[in-house]
Amino acid sequence: MAYNVLIVDDSATMRALIRKILSISGFDVGEYFEGANGREALAVLEQHWVDIILSDLHMPEMDGAELVKALQDHNLWRNIPVVLITTESRQEVLEPFVQQGVQGYIRKPFKPETIRDKLITILGGELHVGELEGCDF
Amino acid sequence: MLENLKAATFEVLETMFFLFPESWEEGSGLLHGPGIRAWVAIQGPNAFKVGLTVPLKMAQEMVTNFLGITEDQLSPEKVEDVLKEAANMVAGAFLGREGASASFNLMPPQVKRLNLEDEKWEDNGNHVLLAVDDYGMEVFLEKN
Repeated sequence: MAYNVLIVDDSATMRALIRKILSISGFDVGEYFEGANGREALAVLEQHWVDIILSDLHMPEMDGAELVKALQDHNLWRNIPVVLITTESRQEVLEPFVQQGVQGYIRKPFKPETIRDKLITILGGELHVGELEGCDF
Repeated sequence: MLENLKAATFEVLETMFFLFPESWEEGSGLLHGPGIRAWVAIQGPNAFKVGLTVPLKMAQEMVTNFLGITEDQLSPEKVEDVLKEAANMVAGAFLGREGASASFNLMPPQVKRLNLEDEKWEDNGNHVLLAVDDYGMEVFLEKN
């Protein structure tokens, strides 16, 4: 089964990196969607079905905390798994998001396999083993 | 604090950029020519900046390693974006290692170009100098 992934980060470079990591990881991605902040993410959700959201925390206009709150307040979107990918490394800042229903967080810097493993844990996805051959991780 | 800054920098460079820095305290020999500086202001009980300065050539190598692209795919925007992301990651990892409370907040990263010949590199107690292959790198803490 292929999963649609929404990547939310104000850095186009980081969005490209996450996309690249996923594309070579063997994780079965259907469509990629991107947003530069929470507002753009919500606009994507209005138009498309998304299976998982990978979001930064610190973003202009509408940050990750506000995005999580908006998702939790929505009847349908509250069930979409959210993983925070953030430079924030302090447990006391991150844990409240888990209490709010976020599925987990990945701290930057991260190893590429960390993202793949987290998605598999949450979605139970399958790897295309052949695609992993020759891959660095 | 500088030990934590150094450890945070090593963690970021090794994990995300596949670069393996070494300590270097011999002056400015590896820091010359056009350069780029990126930093993150941190607000809280104490306001300060965490940042890094590298030669442009090293910045370009960081981008190709980070994004897995070739040199002909480089652009000034990508270089600045990646350096900002590097500073952001160093600052975040530094705060974690310092055990800083949640009252400290990271501001959006900033970047500027500079001529490294115009800078002073002697030990001032606020920065760490590192050698990465043939390049030098400065990582600094600066009070606002």
